[in-house]
Order: sequence, then C-alpha cells, then structure tokens
Amino acid sequence: MTNASDSWLNPLRDPRDLRLPRIAGPCSIVIFGVTGDLSRKKLLPAIYDLANRGLLPPSFGLTGFARRDWNEEQFKDFVKENVQARCRTPFREATWRQLADGIRFVQGTFDDPKAFERLSDTVAELDRSRGTRGNHAFYMSVPPRAFPQVSRQLADCGLARSNEGAWRRVIIEKPFGHNLASAKELDRVVSEVFDPSSVFRIDHYLGKETVQNILALRFANSMYEPIWNANYVDHVQITMAEDIGVAGRAGYYDGIGAARDVIQNHLLQLMALTAMEEPVSFSASDLTAEKTKVLSAIRLPKDLAAHTARGQYAAGWQGSHEVVGYLDEKGIDPASTTETYAAIRLDVDTRRWAGVPFYLRTGKRLGKRVTEIAVVFKPAPHLPFESTATKELGKNAIVIRVQPDEGVTMRFGAKVPGGTSMEVRDVSMDFGYGRSFTEASPEAYERLILDVLLGDPPLFPTTEEVNLSWNILDPIEEFWSTLGQPQPYRSGTWGPQEAVEMLARDSHRWRMP
Amino acid sequence: MIITMRNTETREISAKIDELHEERGEAALGRVLTLLVSTNEASLEHDLEVANNASREHPCRVIAIAPSSRNTADEERDGTTHVTFLDGEIRFGSDAGAGEIIVLRPRGGLVHHPDTLVIPLLVPDAPVVAWWPNEAPANPSEDLLGAMAHNRITDAINSSNPIRTMNDLRRNRSSKNVDLSWTRLTVWRAMLASMLDQPPHLPVTGVRLAGPKDYLPLNLLAAWLRLRLNAPVTIEDDPDAKALTGVYLTRDDGVLSLERPSTDAGVCVISVPGQSPQAVSAPARTPEECLSEELGRLYPDDIYTEVIAQGWEFIHPQR
Repeated sequence: MTNASDSWLNPLRDPRDLRLPRIAGPCSIVIFGVTGDLSRKKLLPAIYDLANRGLLPPSFGLTGFARRDWNEEQFKDFVKENVQARCRTPFREATWRQLADGIRFVQGTFDDPKAFERLSDTVAELDRSRGTRGNHAFYMSVPPRAFPQVSRQLADCGLARSNEGAWRRVIIEKPFGHNLASAKELDRVVSEVFDPSSVFRIDHYLGKETVQNILALRFANSMYEPIWNANYVDHVQITMAEDIGVAGRAGYYDGIGAARDVIQNHLLQLMALTAMEEPVSFSASDLTAEKTKVLSAIRLPKDLAAHTARGQYAAGWQGSHEVVGYLDEKGIDPASTTETYAAIRLDVDTRRWAGVPFYLRTGKRLGKRVTEIAVVFKPAPHLPFESTATKELGKNAIVIRVQPDEGVTMRFGAKVPGGTSMEVRDVSMDFGYGRSFTEASPEAYERLILDVLLGDPPLFPTTEEVNLSWNILDPIEEFWSTLGQPQPYRSGTWGPQEAVEMLARDSHRWRMP
Repeated sequence: MIITMRNTETREISAKIDELHEERGEAALGRVLTLLVSTNEASLEHDLEVANNASREHPCRVIAIAPSSRNTADEERDGTTHVTFLDGEIRFGSDAGAGEIIVLRPRGGLVHHPDTLVIPLLVPDAPVVAWWPNEAPANPSEDLLGAMAHNRITDAINSSNPIRTMNDLRRNRSSKNVDLSWTRLTVWRAMLASMLDQPPHLPVTGVRLAGPKDYLPLNLLAAWLRLRLNAPVTIEDDPDAKALTGVYLTRDDGVLSLERPSTDAGVCVISVPGQSPQAVSAPARTPEECLSEELGRLYPDDIYTEVIAQGWEFIHPQR
C-alpha cells in the first residue's frame, strides 16, 4: 500500500487494470489465543487459503502466542494439522513450506512481561529475516477481559506503536462489551494503546458475500429501490436461527444471552444494510455514515412487554437427536435466566420507513440453521378478483438468504392452471448465488484478514456503530432483567409462544424459513 | 451422462436439453453465459476438460464445434437412416462440470455456417464468449462465431506459428479480444506491481527479462513493462527455459528481481536491495485458471489493448 501523503504513483498500477489482485504488502500477523477454536477452525485455514491464492506477500510472518509448552516445530505441526483439516483450497506442500518458513511461536501467559519481550524480539527477528518491515497485526482471539492486559503489555514492550512508514493494527472479535458502558470502557482501553484508525472490529457476517450482495441488490438495480419504502413494504423480518445449543460456549454464553450475542452485532448490522439510504460511495467513511444514520434513527417500542419476547430452550428431540434443555447443559447455572431466544420489534424514524416494523429474532436449538432477511410487501391496494380467487394469496416478499444456500427468493401470486374459475396462489422464484457464480466463494475470514492487512476498513463496524447498537439494546436488556425466567420452548421448534403472540399483536406472522 | 445423437438437427438437441432439464429438476436460468469452443476432434476432449473445470466457477452452457470427417456414404447408400449434416452429443451431470456441454460435429456445407448452427442453442439473454483453444482466426471479430460473441478468447501460443498469429491478432485488435498469453502473466504482473509498491519509490531505469526465444508471454510482459515504466527493456534468450525465468528491474539503489528458475518447481524468489531474498510459491498457471479468469472478467481489457498496440511496437520496432 502506498501512503496517502505520498504523491508517488506506482507506474505498474492502473485503475483500469482490474486483473491485478490486491496483494498485501510485507507484514506479519500475531495471533493471541492461537490454540482456541476460532483460530483452529477459521483463522489458520483462512491464512493458508490466502497464501495459496497468492494474496499474501512473500515477506509474511505468522506468530502464535499461547500458554502451551511447545517449540516451534510442534507449533508448525499444529498449524499444519488444522490447515489440512479445514483449508478451502487444495493443500499444496510448496505453499505450506513457504508459509511455514515464516511461522514463529512464543510461549507465555498474558501476565508475563518476559513473554512479551520475547514476542517483541520474535517480531523484530521477522523484520530482519523475512523482511516484514515493521508492519504487524495483532489478532486478539481471546476473551474480552484479557484485552486490557494484552494491550497494556503490547504498549509496555513498545509493540503497539510503529515507526514512520510502518503500521501496527489490532483486530478484535465480538463481543464488543456487554452494554454501552462496558463497550466504551473496552474502547478506551484499546484506544489508549492503539490509534483508533488501527483498531479493526471483526463481525464476520459483514465479510460474507451475500451480505455484500445486499448492497448490490439494492443499489445496482432499478427494480427494487422504488418499492423499498413504507409505501410498499409492510414489515421486515430478520432471522438468525441456530440448530445447535450452547455446546462448549456455556461459560461465555450464560449471563450474556441471545440478544447480546447476536442481535447487537449481526442482526443490527443486517438491519442497517437493509434500511440505510444509498451511500455516496462504497468507501468506508461513506458506508459508515449511512449505517450510523439509520442506526441513530432506530426507535424502541414504548411497551417493551408487548413488543419483545424471550425464551429458553427446553429438552426435546431436535432433528433426530434427543437433546437436553438449557438449564441442564453442562456448565449452566440451573437457575439461569439467560435467554437463548430473543425477538424484538424496532421502528425506524425516517420518511422511508415510517410505520414499517422491523422484527429481529435469533435463537439456539431452533428448527434449522438459517439466516435471512425477509422484506414483506403490502397487499395490492385493489384486487379485481372475486374474494375466493385470492384466498390462498399471501403477501409478496423478497427474501435474502444469508446462509445456508445463499441467494434471493421472490414470492408472488400466480394463476393456478386450469379450473373453471380464477384462482391465485403463492409461488416463488429463486436465485441461488452458488448456482450462478463460483462454487468456491472465499470464506468471510479470508476477506476480512486480507482487508486488515491492506488497511481497507469498509467491512468493519466502527466504535460509533457499536455504541449505537448498545444504545438500542441496553433498555431492552434492562427491562428483561426485571422479568425472571424466560418462557421455555421445546428444542427443535421455532421459539416460544410469546414470540408468536408478539407478532400476532401487530397482525403478522413469523415466516417459516 | 453422455447422450450421442447421430444424424440430428439443432431442434432435436434443443428439445432433448429441455427434456433433460425437466427430468432432472434443473433450470437453465442458472447458467450465466454460453461458452463457444471452436476446436477440432483431436483436442476436443482436452478442451472440454478445461472448460468443465472453468465452468465450476462460472456455470455455463458449453457448445463445442468440431467439424466431422465421418464418412456417411455407406449410410446414404443403405437408405434406412435419414442422413443429416450434423452429429451431436449432450453431456450432463458428472460429465459436464457445473453446466451442460453440447458437442456439435457438422459436416459438408454446414461447416461454413457455425453461427446459425449455434444460435438456437445459446442461453437466452446471457453473454456469449468464444474461445479458440488452438488455431486462432486472423480476425476474431469477423469470424462467424466471433462476431456474435461479446468476448473473444484466443490462445496464440497453441497455434502453429505463435508470433505470426499474434501479429494478426494485433492488426485486428478489438477491446473485446484477449489472448490467454496475457492471462498467463497476471501473477507475474501482480508480483512486480507489489514489489514496486514498497519504498523507496525510485524510478526504474532499466529492465531485463529472461526466458525462451520468441515466447509470447515474455514478449507481452516486456511490452507491458516498457510501456508502463518507460525504461529500456532487454530480452535475454534462455534456450533451456520452458517459460519466463526472471525479471530484473534496475534502480539507483540496485536491482530488484523476480526469478523462477524452474517452472516445474513453481517457486519464485524475490530479491530487493537491502533485504534478504524471499521465496514464494508461484506455480505456472493452468489453462483452467486462465480460462476461469477470463470468464470472470467480461469487461474490455484496455491495458492489454495498449500493450499489443503500442508496447509491442517498442519491443519489436523492426517488424
């Protein structure tokens, strides 16, 4: 990457030359918590896949920091094993060898200044032997409570600041706090050490192709935007359903719950992208400006009891397995009031969306794993048919499927063939992303890690977006904390009765995804 | 599944495809483009394999045209079969990547009308790409198949005389034409560009390239560097090489180099003054990767047009 202040232009680059891929400059990445789940399943394979696609520089280093008493060889074997198990592109020995040459391991704990001195030496050694030129990214794949300590240690050993011409970046994963106050505190701690523009918050949903396709669908086409407003849209349903329980995340999940875990980040981001106005350009600042605007226009319902719902999964048979209820899960307090299902109604106070409710729901142990945005349209103002003809006709809808089977479905009425009278029934028309384009679209983490190394921030939520999201969620969480036990729902169903009633009050019905 | 249709007509082939779609519950709507492959019987299978793999990333309908020399005299004399000018073949499912393949083997006068032969079989309302894996027409834009295509892909290196073919293609250039020799260079070009991204940002004063004599990609790379860097370029013959082996850029601070001594090993060594050399895995690009890149990129490539128009003249002033 060239410096913005530098007027030098690379003669080999030309904006018209779209073939040239964006390759990161010399740099290294340090992963804290490298033995954790996220690192094993996503980060290490994504880094290999980037290398295999030729998008990492020849001068690249990867340093793992963990407590395990490993030497470098053992760590390399660990990385190789996980890469082989999960890489998306074929495993090639040549790529692996190049990557392995730049792999280092630092053994230590977060409270040990000596370990960070060793880290500092390792990074400096990479600069010398691999030519990483002082550019380093620190990936905090650790619980948020460790952030302050790690940041402080990085500052103390001089790793947080860089010399002129080089960069230091820090990547943090959700959760970004558990309410507004803690989010601000977290931000204060990290920005004390790192420059705010070098902090990258990862919401892996934003790296997904379909999420970026929302922007294409809305702003590259002429047929959707005219009806994308309160004149035509009846309501919007945004769903993220998981079929699994808390499995292995009990320690983190209990006390946090579905709303903080999913609504605050993923669902509010999806809502912002669905509801925002057209950005002036797709640059980070313009995109953020529109998302911030719409997030700040979100209004909570006055009667939270009527327009929110929560639940907790009870024992049952999900799919074809017998599963225990939340309170019986290992590591969960049997008296826990943490919700595993949350649904809320939000309104957007803008001309475009006046009177259009947005329903957000998420839960664990639901019917199946699915994430979708459904924009449901109002019925036609006049139906020139006999009322019997349109008995079976529902509301038109555009459904953006985020996962799995990424794509777009449109629902509309069509005439039932034959018969003596006119009869109209719902049909759907389908676009499958995977059918029309590449089968091998990159994993979200590949895109996001590369963006960090390139210093390209459009797909990362800013502090302000995070704060606005907590602003929306905090009053709801506060209200819920006065309620006691969430309503139980049988595992494998679509959530508690409360949620059904919540929509029935507005005379709507949840879609069956 | 491969369905062979001897003595057939396009109408029959088209009906058969619709029937198969219905039977298998598939829709032709997912196909994003039609890829026309103008080839011959000898290289047909190889070309289809390349197209198959490329179609996994870009689901398309592949229509291959390979003129037939099958002697139908016996059948005609026999009189029991209705002899037409066309043999066809439809491949589906595991035999056809992510789309479907139609092989057309025209005979006699039909050979001279490939355009009207394929028109009924094109995916409706989708771009058409024409690909000549072997001999390229002197003027792809005026070729009957080329004229109906939105994009035309040649591969001069596989023609009987690559340099002469390239000269024809240069003379008849169009922003919709591209040659795969250029696509083979993308990785090299990307590595060179990122090498210059790094400071110090000094001007390049000289360029040297090494590789086999009259190797098209090397000539195109030389032309591109000459055009973009505006520095003298020398080409060094490396008689043992199978492909480009090195690029050397001279600056005031020394020589920056990118070397791939062995194409088979596929390892590039990058050397920059003041830094220890770094190796990076960069195997030669496969035809599948190149075709796939072209199918993913259907906009005109102005850079390529400039390179063959102006850059090439600098490198070969006498020709």
